[in-house]
Parts: sequence; C-alpha cells; structure tokens
Amino acid sequence: MSGYYASILQGALLTVGVSLAALVFAVLLGLAGAAAKLSGRPVLVTLATVYTTLVRGVPELVLMLLIFYGGTIGLNNLLEALGSKATVDINPFAAGVLTIGFIYGAYMTETFRGAILSIPKGQMEAAWAFGMGRVRTFLRITAPQMVRYALPGFTNNWLVLIKATALISLIGLQEMTYLAKQASSATREPFTFFIFAAGLFLVYTSVSLWVLRKLERRFSMGVKRGRV
Amino acid sequence: MKILFLSLSLIGAAALVGCGKTETPAPAAPASETSAAPAPAVLPELKVAIDPTYEPFTFKTSDGKPTGFDVDIAEALCNEIKRKCVYVEQVWDSMIPGLQAKKYDVIISSMSITDDRKKVVDFTDKYYNTPSRIVVRTDTPFTDLNSLKGKSIGVLKGSTQEKYAMGDLKPVGVRVVPYEAQDQVYLDIKSGRLDGTVADSVEVTGGFLRKPEGQGYGFVGPVLNDVKYFGYGVGIALRQGETALRDELNAGIKAIRANGVYESISKKYFDFDVYGE
Repeated sequence: MSGYYASILQGALLTVGVSLAALVFAVLLGLAGAAAKLSGRPVLVTLATVYTTLVRGVPELVLMLLIFYGGTIGLNNLLEALGSKATVDINPFAAGVLTIGFIYGAYMTETFRGAILSIPKGQMEAAWAFGMGRVRTFLRITAPQMVRYALPGFTNNWLVLIKATALISLIGLQEMTYLAKQASSATREPFTFFIFAAGLFLVYTSVSLWVLRKLERRFSMGVKRGRV
Repeated sequence: MKILFLSLSLIGAAALVGCGKTETPAPAAPASETSAAPAPAVLPELKVAIDPTYEPFTFKTSDGKPTGFDVDIAEALCNEIKRKCVYVEQVWDSMIPGLQAKKYDVIISSMSITDDRKKVVDFTDKYYNTPSRIVVRTDTPFTDLNSLKGKSIGVLKGSTQEKYAMGDLKPVGVRVVPYEAQDQVYLDIKSGRLDGTVADSVEVTGGFLRKPEGQGYGFVGPVLNDVKYFGYGVGIALRQGETALRDELNAGIKAIRANGVYESISKKYFDFDVYGE
C-alpha cells in the first residue's frame, strides 16, 4: 500500500520538473510573442497572431496528440521513405515540456502584451530621449514595470499550466494523476489515491501562490503607498 | 474518436518537434516461468504496450512492477516466440496512436476486437473472452430466462450487456434499466430498486460479488457469449501489414493453449476458464 504512495510522490517530482521547465519555455515564447505583436512589423505581427489564435483556440489534448504522435508518425514515415529501418523515439519529457511550453507561451504572449500596453508610453519615450538603446530601455524601464502588471495574469496561467501537466501521461510520462489512477485501479480504492494526488496538487499550487504574492508585493512597492 | 485523432495527427505530421531519442521503458516484470534451458544471451525485444489500470488483467504491484493476466500471457508468448518482452506504459486514450508512432510493437492490454478498431489496426486471434453473466439473489428460483419475469435488471448504458438484455431479457418480461456507470447499478441493488444485473463476470466478481454488499448474490443461467451481442473477445493489436509477427503470435497462442501454460495462468487469476468457447 505505502509503495503506491511512494510512486505517486515520485510522480509529483516529475510534475514539478515538467511544469517548471515548461514555464521557462513559455515565458521565453511569451516575451518573444509579445515583442513580435508590438513590433509593428506586418510579418512578425501576423506570425504571432496566428500562433496565439491557433493555440488558444484548439484544446490542449488535441494539440498534444498532434504534436507528439503526429510528429513521431511523420518522422518515421519520412525515415521509411528514405529507406531507413531505424525508428525515432521522441523523449517524452522533452516533448511534454515543449508541448506545454508551446501552448502556454500563447497565453503568456497575451498577458505580457497587455502588461506592456499598460505602461504609459511616455516612460519608454523618455528613456529613448535619454539615449538608451532598445535593449537597455526594456531591461531598465519596461521590464520592471511590466512585471507588476503581468503578475496577476501570470499567476492564473501558472495555475492552469500546473493542472495541465495531468494531461502529459497521454504522451507516456508517469505523472502523479496517472500513477494515482494505476494505484486506485490495482487496489479498487479510487478515493484514497485521488484525494492524495489532489492534496499534492493543492500543496504545490498553494506554495506557488505564496511565492507569487510575495513577488507581487515586492514589485508594487512604492506604487500602492503612493496611491493612498 | 480514435480515428479522428489519427487523421488529425497525420495532417499534423508536418509540424515536427525535434527532441532527444531516448526512451526509458517500464521495468519488466520478472519472467514468471523460468525457462529450462539457458536462453541465448540477447533475445530480440518485443515492445509491449500496457495500460496498468485494469485489475486483475493489467495493473501494478505496490513496488511498481507490471503484473496481471495480460502481462503473464505476454511473458508466456514472448517465451514461445523467443523474444524479450519490454513493457511500455501507455494511457488508454493514446494506445492506438502510440502503436502507429512505433513507440511499441504490440498492444497486450485487454483490447477487445471490434470492427471499428480493425479499420486502423490488425488483431491476432482472441486470447481471452470473459463471458457476461446474470446476477441475482441466490435464493431466486431459476429454471430458464422466463423465471426472471417481472424482475428489474440494471445494465451499463451502451454496453454489450445492454444489447443482450434488450434483445433477450426484455421480451420475456424483465424490466431493463440502463445506468451511466456500473457502480450505480450496484448502489441501486443495495438500495433495493433493482433485483440484479447483467455484467462482465470478472467485473462483477471484483466490483460486487466479493464485496460485503454482494453477499447473497450470485450467477444464474448460462454463460453469455453470443457473438451477436458480445463480439469477438480480446486480442493482441499490432500495426497493419505486420503479418509475420501476427502469424507468430497466433501460433504462440495456440501453443500455450495446448501445453497447459495458458491454463495455469488462467487458474492463477480466475476460477473459471477465461478463454471462452
């Protein structure tokens, strides 16, 4: 019995690993996407718009099947057409991170875009007037202010992303929901193990919320006090 | 549903994701039958997909080893065709896409042979076919189906058992009540709204008869396995066109049926012959 709990705990580690790695990837994609959308260059704007529209409009489950299985089948067919006997096996951890990151990058794009638009334009114009380059303006002026506006939306995305990891068992990763399902079916005691897994999710999200609330307080220092 | 996903994935084949190429297979179960002669050092692998969420056919022990009737059959077959079984765990929803993507060679995970699935994968001959049975109170007088007249029987909606109950029981005056889930049937038997059920014999044994609320209930009537209602049984799925492997496996199934290995595995899990007719 305790063996099942241990395996679910191991699955929880995997869930934490996949979600954190996917978050990094999603933030990078989100920043790139927001930059593209605000760049004003038609090609970049179109690309980013297609990305966010497509990804936010298609269910995650379908996207995962498409990217993982479609990708593998395509690669294998390609190899076969080239006359090779080898078969490709995509690493499921990398695939899970990339797929979830790719999906949540679209949500992050919109969150960051909205946050950047909330900063008064004069701030950036003043920086340029002082002779700061684009990169320096972003790092010193835009980014610190953007974080404050982006955090609420970011928190939401993060919580949904954590729960989306429950879908990655679909591509062959043994995360905790799947392990809980295995344990409950082996023992025919569904509630014991699902409640345990739900509790672990709750712990994870609560810790995240606590950290993010600290961050939010830090980044709105001065602003709230000034408003009183 | 699965066909839709498949065609979608084929369309999406262009959107490739390049990643690493390693894959850690699930730990193999220890071979239950120790082979007499020392096997040649390296046997070619046979990658077997299982979804270990279906006790007692495929499930995991608490230390994480795949086990169950399906797994024992897989081991016996690998032994027979001189391959080494390597287990890959896969969720049921993506079982067939994974086969198409060559993540594994065969599915040995209690997959029923159906006409819909036959359109996208090939099947071996069946390796088991659990019959369905009628379950009522053991003190119910029963001579033939007519003695069930006036009784209320619960069945799972959309199941083969529902087809059977509507076809054979309703005409003799049984009240057939469909439910969304089989455990709701058990709850309503307990509450007295139902007199019994028609269900897969293995499911009803583990889920009801062996539990306290199943006390005083038991099977009546014949073993139900009419192909008209219940289909072809459970087989091993493999990619279309792999006829050599399919023939090997079919020969393997025949061999373990003949040499008694099948029977001893069946006895380990069930108190009846799980192969069916």
